[in-house]
Formats: sequence, C-alpha cells, structure tokens
Amino acid sequence: MSAVTALLRQPLVVALILIAGLLWLGETLSPGFASGQQILRLLIVAALLGIVAAGQNLVILGGREGIDLSVGGVVSLSAIIAGNLMAGDNAGIPLAILACVVAGAFFGLLNGIGVTLLRIPPLVMTLGMLGVLQGLLVVVRQGIPSGRAAPALADFVSRTFLFGLPGILWLWVVIGLVMAFLLNRTVFGHRIYAIGSNEQAAFMAGVPVKAIRIALFVLSGVFAAITGICLLGYSGSSFANVGEQYMLASIIAVVFGGTPLSGGKGGYTGTMAGAFLLVILQSILTTVNIDESGRQMVFGATLLVLMLFYGRGRSMRA
Amino acid sequence: MSRLQLKGVGKSYGATKALRHADLDIEAGEVHVLMGSNGSGKSTLSKIVAGSVRPDTGEILLDGKPVSITGPQAARRLGIAIFYQELSLAAHRTVAENICLADLPSRGVFVDRTALEARAAKYIALFDGVTGDDFSPDAVVQDLRADQRQLVEIMKTLAGEASVLIFDEATSALDRAQVERFFEILRDLKRQGRSIIFISHRMDEIFAIGDRATVIRDGEIVGSRQIAGTTPAEIISMMVGAQEETATVADAAPARPAGPPVLSVRGLTGPGFSDIGFDVRAGEILGFGGLHGQGQSAVLRALFGANSPTAGSVELGGKPLHPKNPRATIRQGVAYVSGDRSRDGVVSGRPILENVMPIHYLRERMMLANPSALAAKALPALQALKTKFAGLGHPISSLSGGNQQKVVIARWLIDRPAVLLLDDPTKGIDLSAKADLFSLIRKLAGEGMGIVLYASEDAELLDNADRILVFNGGAIRRELTGAARTRFNLYQAAYEAA
Repeated sequence: MSAVTALLRQPLVVALILIAGLLWLGETLSPGFASGQQILRLLIVAALLGIVAAGQNLVILGGREGIDLSVGGVVSLSAIIAGNLMAGDNAGIPLAILACVVAGAFFGLLNGIGVTLLRIPPLVMTLGMLGVLQGLLVVVRQGIPSGRAAPALADFVSRTFLFGLPGILWLWVVIGLVMAFLLNRTVFGHRIYAIGSNEQAAFMAGVPVKAIRIALFVLSGVFAAITGICLLGYSGSSFANVGEQYMLASIIAVVFGGTPLSGGKGGYTGTMAGAFLLVILQSILTTVNIDESGRQMVFGATLLVLMLFYGRGRSMRA
Repeated sequence: MSRLQLKGVGKSYGATKALRHADLDIEAGEVHVLMGSNGSGKSTLSKIVAGSVRPDTGEILLDGKPVSITGPQAARRLGIAIFYQELSLAAHRTVAENICLADLPSRGVFVDRTALEARAAKYIALFDGVTGDDFSPDAVVQDLRADQRQLVEIMKTLAGEASVLIFDEATSALDRAQVERFFEILRDLKRQGRSIIFISHRMDEIFAIGDRATVIRDGEIVGSRQIAGTTPAEIISMMVGAQEETATVADAAPARPAGPPVLSVRGLTGPGFSDIGFDVRAGEILGFGGLHGQGQSAVLRALFGANSPTAGSVELGGKPLHPKNPRATIRQGVAYVSGDRSRDGVVSGRPILENVMPIHYLRERMMLANPSALAAKALPALQALKTKFAGLGHPISSLSGGNQQKVVIARWLIDRPAVLLLDDPTKGIDLSAKADLFSLIRKLAGEGMGIVLYASEDAELLDNADRILVFNGGAIRRELTGAARTRFNLYQAAYEAA
C-alpha cells in the first residue's frame, strides 16, 4: 500500500496515469480520438511544445525565480525568420536554421545578462523581452503574413521518417536523451542543480554561478528557436503571433512534469510527459468545442492547481 | 527593594541548557554588567527579560511583584526596553520614524508627523555633536554608517522611556566620543532611578560605567562583584573557572616542527577587519581566538574570496594570491569550511556524491560526471572522516548534521589544498563527529598542510592550535604561543580594551 502511495508521489507516474485517463476520456467523447493516427498527430504537437519546454525546464531548474516568459516571442520570431529565409525552397534550410538558432541564442543571452549582471528579476526581464519581441515582429512584418516552409521541413514534421515516426519525433527523442545525459552525467548538469538548490553553497564551492545562469537562458532561446522552425514546418507558413501560446504552456508542462518553480529538482523526462498531457487536454477541449479563450482559462487554472500540489515547497519554508 | 528579580530562571534548547536556575537582582539606579564568554547564556538571559524568549522554569519579579513577560509587547508595557545586538531597525524608514517605531504618535489612523518629529528630536538632541555628518531626523537608516545606525538603535531604546533598559553590546561600532556621550546619558538615567543591564566585551567600558558585575559561565551564574571592589583579573578568573585557572595546553597538541610559510598575509583590510598580518607555516595549526564576531570569520572569508578585501597582500606558497572569488582561490589551492553548513556548504536535496565532487570538478576542469569513476574518488575521502551514510546516491539531507558537515569537508580531501581555512567548523555537530574532525585536521597538519582554525569554543582552540591569534575589534591583539596558550590569557586578551 505504501509502495502505491510512494509511486503516486512521483509526478512522472501521475502524469502517465493522467495521460491514459485523458486518452480514454477523449475516446469516450469522440470515438477515434485515441486511434494510432490521432495519437501520432498529438505527439507531433507535443514535440513542438516539448522542445521549447526543454529550455524552460533548464531555466526553472537553475532556481532564483528562474523563468523565461519570452519563449513565445522567440518561437514567433524564429518561425518568421525561417519562413522568409527559406521561402518554400529546400536550399534555404541550412541558412534558416543557422539564423534562427543565432537569433534565439542572442535574445537568450540578453535575458541572461539582464538577470545576472544587471540583477533584473527573471520575471520582469523576460516579460520585458517578450514585449520587445512582439513589437519587433509587428515592425518587421507589418501585419502581413509572409514566408513559406520548405517542402523538406514540412516532411520532417509530418511525414514518416523511420519506424513509422516522423523526423520531429526522433528529434524530440534525441533531445530527451541529450537532456537526460546533460542533467545526470555532466558537470554542467550537476552545477545546474547545485545553483538551483543552494546558490550560495554552489558559489562557495567554486561554481561559476552567473556563467551557468546565462548559459541556461541562451539554451532556452535556442530551444525556442528550434520549436519556431518546426512550427513553420507544421503549419506551412508563419502567421501572426504563432508562438504566443507557448509561454504559459511550456511552464505548465515543466510543472506538470515535477519540476517546481523554485528550481533545483526535477528533470526533463517528466516535462516530456507533461507536454504530451497538456496537448491531449487541449485536444479534448477542442473536441468538446471550447474555443481558444476557454482553453487559455483552463490552462491558467491548471497551472494554479498544479502550484497547490507541487510548486510551493521552497517559498513556504522561507 | 530590587527593581528586577530573577528566581531560578532556566531555559533549554533541546539537550542544551542555555541557562540553569539563574538568580539575579537588579537594583533601581544601577548599571548591572553581565559578563561571560561566547554562548555562556548572557543573551538568553537578556532575551528572557525582554520577552523574546520564554523561560522553562523560574519566576521574574518586577518591583517585588511576580510578572509574566509573554512577549516583547508585554515587556514594553511593563517598562522593559532592549537594545538588540542584531539591529532591529527598518532600513528604508527615516531616523525619526525608527526612533518612535514602537509607539508611533497618531491622530486617528494617521501618523502625527509633528508629534513624531518633536519626540524624535528630543532623543537625537541627546547625542548632539557626536552623530557625525549627514545625520538628520529625515535621513533614511539604510544610508547611514554603522555607528550612526547603532546610535539610532540606542535612541530607539531610550525612547521607550522604560524603567529597565538592556543594552546588549550597544557600543561595538561607536567611536570614543560617542561612547563617552552614551555613558553620560546612562549616568543620567541612573540618577533618575532607572535600572540598566549592560553587556559589553570591553573591560575598560565595564569598569567605566558598571556598578556591579555578574559573571555567567556555561549557563550558570558564577557570582556578582561590586565593580569598585574588583579587578579585571578577578572577573576573568571567574569567567575561566577555578579548575581551569592554571590549566595549560593539553598534551594533545605537541609542538610540531614548523615548515616554511605556506600562507602570508600582510596588511589585509576589509569590511569588519583592518591591517591583519600573519604567516601560516606548513604543518601548523594556527588558531583564531577571541569573542564572536571580532573579524575572525570575515578574514577567513576574505582570504577565500567570498568577500573582497579592500587592501593588503596575500601570498600562497610564495606566489601572490588575489582572492577575487572562491573559484579563483580554490584553483590556487585554498580550502574553506564554513560553520554555517546549511547556507554555505550543503546542496540539500542533491545526492551525497554531488555534494562531495564540486571541488574536484573545478580543479580538474572536468566536463563529464561518470558515477563509478566519481565514487572511486569520493569513497576514500568520506572514509577518512568516518562518515556514516547508506549510499552515495542518497540525498545529503538524509544524514545527521555531523555527517553532513563531514561530506562538505570531504570535498576538500580529493585534491589536497595547500591551506585549509576552518571557520568555526564544528558549530552544531555532535561530539563524536567533532573528535573525528579534529583527528583528521591534526593528521592533515602532520602531512604538511597549513591550517587556520577559528573556533568559537575555546577548548577546541586550546586543544588543537599550535599558536593562537586573539582578535578584538577587527584586529589581532595578541599572539599566544607555547605555555602561554591558557584559557586565562585567551580571555584576558579577548576582553582587553580595543
């Protein structure tokens, strides 16, 4: 009995049970919801969220109120840069990827510098950056949809690539393995947990606290940029504020997966499950005809409920 | 009749008896000095009188009537005011507001600014001429110097117009003129028939202002003396205790052959200390002694790079050391163990293994963390300290305090540092862990490491240090070597005029 309760305390186990439950619920509401083809489509959407949530996960793990609210802006920016650079031509893909990753890293670097060297709270810094990015998008595009995905990119996201799965899912798996390796088997990973858990002790043990925190924000920008490119492949062209939804969703996926907002514990495997769970929930809400604003309300409420269960550990003690 | 009487007052924290069966009489119109070394129970006693600590046993009488001091508010209503050693000011409010903080004059729900300023002005005027530049009723406390903040805290205590006033180290940051003025005010209060409990670590001040002195040792009241009829030597003897008056250094610390200097410090100055100079030789345990907070920790942290010194030079093994941050000093072979392990040492929630490895990661510039290879490094280091743990993967928070501290120390044993700085390393750990720790330290010294040990427990210093530098007021006042390393000499140096 106690083994069962201990198991139920594991956020990953809870998330997997909820995934099964929600799939069953979806199937009941709308037969065919949990068909193989449909689950594959949900996984692709989950991969888009899961990749941006990897960066969010890293920033949150690093502690000191770490959070990146600018990811949505970076996703939109990246989708637009990629769309315009490739303009429907496969030859433009390498340059587009390079430009997007550099742009994501650049805005992540600015976030990191603002948070560490200028001591601006992450919430304020990244929210400000989101505002800058949104303004920049309006100026660049002047409201006109532009850019088209290259055919190879669209295939990468939706066509079967290996063992019946499209390339983006393989990319997600690789990112999952890299994240697990990074967090558990590298000095960098151990240092992320150390600064998230006790920054002062980490400093006293010679951990370069600021450099690591900057690196986390840079990685968050890069992951958001990758999601932006994939999102272009998914939707074919980039449209207004295509990445906006990822800000709240990436945070929920991380918290769902068992990484508290106070940082220092958790990991990416749970976040992957959290991303899938959230996408299923979103799909069920669409199935029962709840519109975008309704879904946002459900997401916001979900985050608040999650905070009640997982999020409070550190702040309650202080 | 006594103004304040304590009868059989006792207080325990867990197994530690902070105060046992204390009887104390404070007369009206006297300055009563409390004396005792670190952790003897002085502060516990004053906190009980001020209502911030509830006693377990005993009773307190005010003007002959038993009273129950249920909290700071109750103490204030009974006419008891306390100056807190850790200042209790609101940093972002003005001097005037802070002085009247306990009892803001009001008109309805609003603060009556005119009355507030008038009342504050009365107490500020007491220190007219010694408050220094930029001191005004409208100045924000945060912008003031340390001595000015201490004056505000004194004014705030006076503003309570209490009949019993407790000053717990109220003069530590003040200059001579400020202390003189403060004493004039205290004499005035005495003439008004008020009672003052005065705690200070400066023997000259105690003899300048005190009427009677009561000595506390290990939570017990040793005795009281009229100041006019005693000497500093007698007071120190009472604090040391008769049985230890003639005790010299235990045989546990035989003189070791001194090697070449590994750490040379010259003219080191920074926040909380000035012009510190000493050498640590290879194979030597150099003790830092004196009362709490006289600059010992600040010097060690500055040498480690945790806070930056403003002047001075440091050499490690003949090469200049720039203690810019811990990262830089660790690379050059400096090690530091803090007594505040939950703040500076333990990464709680993470496995024991990750808590042992960070120094090795840094010194070897490692990128990958292969658990089995790391375990081979971690286990001998943990075993050298007889650390008890179930597995390297278990969280460090599952260990006892003593074992957690052993894990934190073990991280320095994988790559041997040239010098080991110990900043009160045994704070809050059990006796057997202490014994393991000190036997390791002596072994490391025997192998040629230079060790600096600050210990707030004098016995640890006397038993282990080859030489003791006694700190007072942020400076080294005396060096005790050989047979001069006695508890008596240690206390005398610690309490000398700064």
